[in-house]
Amino acid sequence: MAGGFWTRFLAAPGLWLLCLFALPLTLTLAMSFGYVDEFGRAAYDSPFAPGALDNYADAFDPIYLPSLVRSVTYALGTTALCLAIGYPIAYYIARFGGRRKYLLIGLLVLPFFVNYLVRTYAWVALLSDEGLVNNALIDLGVTSQGIQMINTPWAVIGGLTYGYLVFMILPVFAALERMDPAVIEAGKDLYGNKLQTFLHVTLPQTRQGILAGSVLVFLPSVGDFVSATLLGGPNTFMVGNLIQDQFFAANNWPFGAALTVIMMIFLTIWMIGYLRAAAREARPAL
Amino acid sequence: MAEAIKLDRVTKRFGEVAAVDDVTLSIAKGEFFSLLGPSGCGKTTTLRMIAGFEQPSEGHILLEGEPVEDVPPYERNVNTVFQSYALFEHLNVEDNVAFGLKRKKVPKPEIAQRVREALELVSLEQRADARAAELSGGQQQRVALARALVNRPAVLLLDEPLGALDLKLRRQMQGELKDIQREVGITFVYVTHDQEEALAMSDRIAVMHDGKVIQCAEPEEVYERPDEAFVAGFIGVSNLMEGVVEGEDKVKLASGQKVSAALPDGVGRGETVQLSIRPEKIALDEMQKGMVSIEGTVEQRVYQGVNTQVTVSLGDGARIVALEQNTYIVRSDDRWEPGTKVKVGWHADHCLVLR
Repeated sequence: MAGGFWTRFLAAPGLWLLCLFALPLTLTLAMSFGYVDEFGRAAYDSPFAPGALDNYADAFDPIYLPSLVRSVTYALGTTALCLAIGYPIAYYIARFGGRRKYLLIGLLVLPFFVNYLVRTYAWVALLSDEGLVNNALIDLGVTSQGIQMINTPWAVIGGLTYGYLVFMILPVFAALERMDPAVIEAGKDLYGNKLQTFLHVTLPQTRQGILAGSVLVFLPSVGDFVSATLLGGPNTFMVGNLIQDQFFAANNWPFGAALTVIMMIFLTIWMIGYLRAAAREARPAL
Repeated sequence: MAEAIKLDRVTKRFGEVAAVDDVTLSIAKGEFFSLLGPSGCGKTTTLRMIAGFEQPSEGHILLEGEPVEDVPPYERNVNTVFQSYALFEHLNVEDNVAFGLKRKKVPKPEIAQRVREALELVSLEQRADARAAELSGGQQQRVALARALVNRPAVLLLDEPLGALDLKLRRQMQGELKDIQREVGITFVYVTHDQEEALAMSDRIAVMHDGKVIQCAEPEEVYERPDEAFVAGFIGVSNLMEGVVEGEDKVKLASGQKVSAALPDGVGRGETVQLSIRPEKIALDEMQKGMVSIEGTVEQRVYQGVNTQVTVSLGDGARIVALEQNTYIVRSDDRWEPGTKVKVGWHADHCLVLR
């Protein structure tokens, strides 16, 4: 029986989604309406209980605004940097990679088998005041005291860019691969020099890839706390750090949960915006 | 007549392989010139060198008398209609056609005017706002044509532009393309592997094989008087029969029959040659005066509607194929039963001796 087969076939992923997605999400939602009792323990509550929305009201306290603005700014900067670095790499591999194309892409993906946290620690070793880069600069006599690199916004954005770069390269590469090479020749044939052909042909034809890559980089960057924790200082506090603090330092799980829910709604709005843009692009004009 | 394109001993090598091998061609202004050959014969590479996408390894290309070695594609006064059309999917029909004029910084009102005229020329003025993906194959083909023609290039290069269309649409577009070419008077260089297409449309045809131009002549010449066995075999159907030269204008076929045929200069006694005769030039049973005539046995008869294809065995494995017209006077489907003896004849001047 077909129905029986599909029921069994989808049972495992269904269970997986239920246990690891739906259940934690529901718990987070329930926690966000909860409170901390007099013994400091987090308690769940119904959304209709008195004071259930207190956590949400607290979240809109202006003191949290800078973290949010900073998160969005860093994420936008990261997206722009990833595009600036990732597009030329994807372009070079797609057009001139020849038989080594997929090997090169494989090499780009390889570091991502190592945990993001570990890779970010490597940057700490590089960028810290006594790190490899500063020691080298001092040894070379470029500077006598070293340059402050760690604990700056640039280090955080750099860490994010390194962490999520491949999510930009892959969709852009796929978009370039899908392109008919004759289209680029058509651009040149129709009097477009290299730059004009790139701007008027290649770039618009890979817009879908750029959009997808931007979303894939922007979304995790906004919620990231690893880069800011390891490479940043007190002045680079992001929303992710704020949430992490509520859970592990302030021990205020209900407030952390409320911030998480707000963050998710915020990112969903961006996501819907992207999906609508992508759909508009894909739909032929009438 | 003035020369639009000159290829002077052009060779193009990819690694060790010479895709185009020592080709010299001269194409006149306003000519409809076809490069015809099987895939891999170098015709597309030749076209791409004229467009500027490939550089010759040796030799020179002249466009309107000027050498173009150092001229990039975007500065050459030629435009291409690509086999895949290569339309810009992110632009509508109008913007696709306007692309070249915008890059050349033609004033806006003039662009609008010329784009409208180009779309009228290909009967697509109603679809100016459509996206490429919404058009049928034939319409996309017309957009590609309009996009190239609107720039009024000195030469239009067409790379198997009708290859992706179905047979009926192909026939129709062949006529339209030829009409458009006559109307605009631009030199067309047309790459195709379809010999009928080349015969129907071209002023001249260059037949290519293994990177070389084997014969370059008018369609009738290429069809009626092929220079080489390859041309005879590639253009239309041809009977190629091996024989040995017996003496002055006498050839002995592999089956033992002796036939008279005009020998080309420099072919001597004892030399092995190929006799080439078009199937439609062969008479069965009803001989005319002065025909070369030999005997054979009908081996196979295939009724094809307009005509019937009769394969006659001459003995010793030699065969000859004849096409007999189905006319209002005689039917061709009830004669030449397989197994019957038959007389096979042709006029000596329809029989070519090829080395």
